[in-house]
Amino acid sequence: MSVPNAGAIVTVPEIAVIDEIKDEIEDVRTYYFSFENNDVGRDFRVKSGQFVMCTVFGAGEFAVSLPFSPENDRPHLSVRRVGHVTRALHELRAGDKIGLRGPFGNGFPFDAIKGRNVVYVAGGIGLIPLRSSIVHVLQHRPEFGRIILLYGARSSKDHMYKYMIDEWKKIPGFEVHVAVDRPEEGWTGEVGFVHTLVGPASVPVKDTVAFVCGPPLMFNSVIKELLAAGLKDDAIISTLERHMKCGIGKCQHCAIGRTLVCTDGPVYTYRQIKTLGEQI
Amino acid sequence: MYIMPKNQSGALAAALAEDYDLYGPILPDASGEPLFDRAEDPAAIRLDAAISYNPPKSVVFPQAERILSYRYDKDSRTAAIVRDDLVRPKALVGIRACDLSGLLCLDRFYLGQEYVDEVYRDHRKKMFIVANTCVRPFPQCFCVCTDSGPAPREGFDVALTGVGDDYLFETGSEKGEALARKLGLKEAGPGAAALKAKTVDASIARFDAEATQNKAWISRVMNRITMGFIGNDVWEYIGDQCFECGACSFVCPTCSCFNIEDVNTREGGTDRKRSWDSCSYEGYTRMAGDHNPRHPVEDRRNKRFFCKLSFSQSKKYLRPGCVGCGRCNRVCPGDIGIANVVTYIRREITKAGAK
Repeated sequence: MSVPNAGAIVTVPEIAVIDEIKDEIEDVRTYYFSFENNDVGRDFRVKSGQFVMCTVFGAGEFAVSLPFSPENDRPHLSVRRVGHVTRALHELRAGDKIGLRGPFGNGFPFDAIKGRNVVYVAGGIGLIPLRSSIVHVLQHRPEFGRIILLYGARSSKDHMYKYMIDEWKKIPGFEVHVAVDRPEEGWTGEVGFVHTLVGPASVPVKDTVAFVCGPPLMFNSVIKELLAAGLKDDAIISTLERHMKCGIGKCQHCAIGRTLVCTDGPVYTYRQIKTLGEQI
Repeated sequence: MYIMPKNQSGALAAALAEDYDLYGPILPDASGEPLFDRAEDPAAIRLDAAISYNPPKSVVFPQAERILSYRYDKDSRTAAIVRDDLVRPKALVGIRACDLSGLLCLDRFYLGQEYVDEVYRDHRKKMFIVANTCVRPFPQCFCVCTDSGPAPREGFDVALTGVGDDYLFETGSEKGEALARKLGLKEAGPGAAALKAKTVDASIARFDAEATQNKAWISRVMNRITMGFIGNDVWEYIGDQCFECGACSFVCPTCSCFNIEDVNTREGGTDRKRSWDSCSYEGYTRMAGDHNPRHPVEDRRNKRFFCKLSFSQSKKYLRPGCVGCGRCNRVCPGDIGIANVVTYIRREITKAGAK
């Protein structure tokens, strides 16, 4: 059970302005926003790993993870065009308004992982919800051990936040491994599904925590690989997505097993996920 | 405790109508089927009616309602969002013990968890509740098995128990006391509590002979469901009988799942509407992009019975999620109302025990 954030926007969305739109990869765009009301913006405090409910006026509302770090990071959402509401969002231009409720959910457990090695394993747009955690950990670099990112996507055209990854590669001590599924012309990085990077990256086992996010197939093979490497099921952390309507634990659409993704999640350890008794 | 002649029930409803919108069991047409609905005329409320076809939850959780509306002007790029003010006080007159238990479940779920559901809270606040003891059970009833009847125990302003030509008029709040004074009721005297207890005992004694459609002792089943001892074949057998009509959810006094949709109006605005939903529908968990983590029908059936009968959900309600009203058994086109599911699972447990 998560404790609601002080100042969370619960029922009536607050109006936000889209300041800038950035094309990321096919069908995915990043929307930088700020609240119309400055007081709301000041009170809008997020924890890394939380999500918001985003209203596209005239179309509806959808749940979306927050990719920005709580500190010194520009508020934005990265959204794939997949259903009718996100399609409507993609029609908007800079200067248009959206509505936001939240932030909701438990967030990543940073206090519990201090001093440990941190491994990020992401597939495709699974990098979006992990971005806030990566930025946060880099901002607090001395509090953690080795920091590793294993990232894969179908092709180099499908790499999210390419400009950030290029920056991350330059950071001393941040081990960044990026792969594409199939060989392609001009690609000099690694080739293969992301779980095949676990071995070559010599992922540490002792005092290590892994954050995993990506499509169900990728998720399952990565988990298998990490467990085989010796990681314990409570040292693997993931963030789940579900069909959501309310965000505050009432509509029950996001129920998995005996938990609700909106209030008990979206961040779960693999030990918890195993006991939920449902597909990811 | 006070005493109120039965022929004064009209005066009770009329007195409440001065300050509240009245809701209660009414007989809207010649079918004789009682509905729990708005009574424009206080005289329409029938305290002697059988248990209503629909649960009173629609008073606090309407089948469909607007929770807010907004207008977005594309040219000037301005948005205005308005939330309706739903402060008209409501009185529930003649709610049965099972349904009152159901309402208290909704209170604990909507108001008592991490977040308060503001829409529900607005319906619920300033409410006056007159509960009605079932002095004899109806054929569909099994509140004695779910510990939610036949007499209301908490959450009421007034509880009525019919004895001969009178009602024992028990107050549960200062508001209830004020109503007793307003109606000029007589004190019931020292024997009243014993008389009520005798009446309730007599009602319980009639369940065996009269509540013939249901025998659903749920405690042992709850234990087994919570511990995960129910085999997949059992859930599949149950799932096979589900027509995915959602009727069980709609008539259930504790089912509280809802959908939210933004509906554009002819006038150029948008209403955000929430409406009842059911976990038995396939689209309930389907995400944009068509990924549906909960696919087979038995997965979804399993979810509903888990919600009503497992410990994890009972923690949120502070009691089992089933209140024994028997409505789902009446409406299910298959044969998997809660009572039948409980009976079926108990039989399986017995069989397993005999092996």
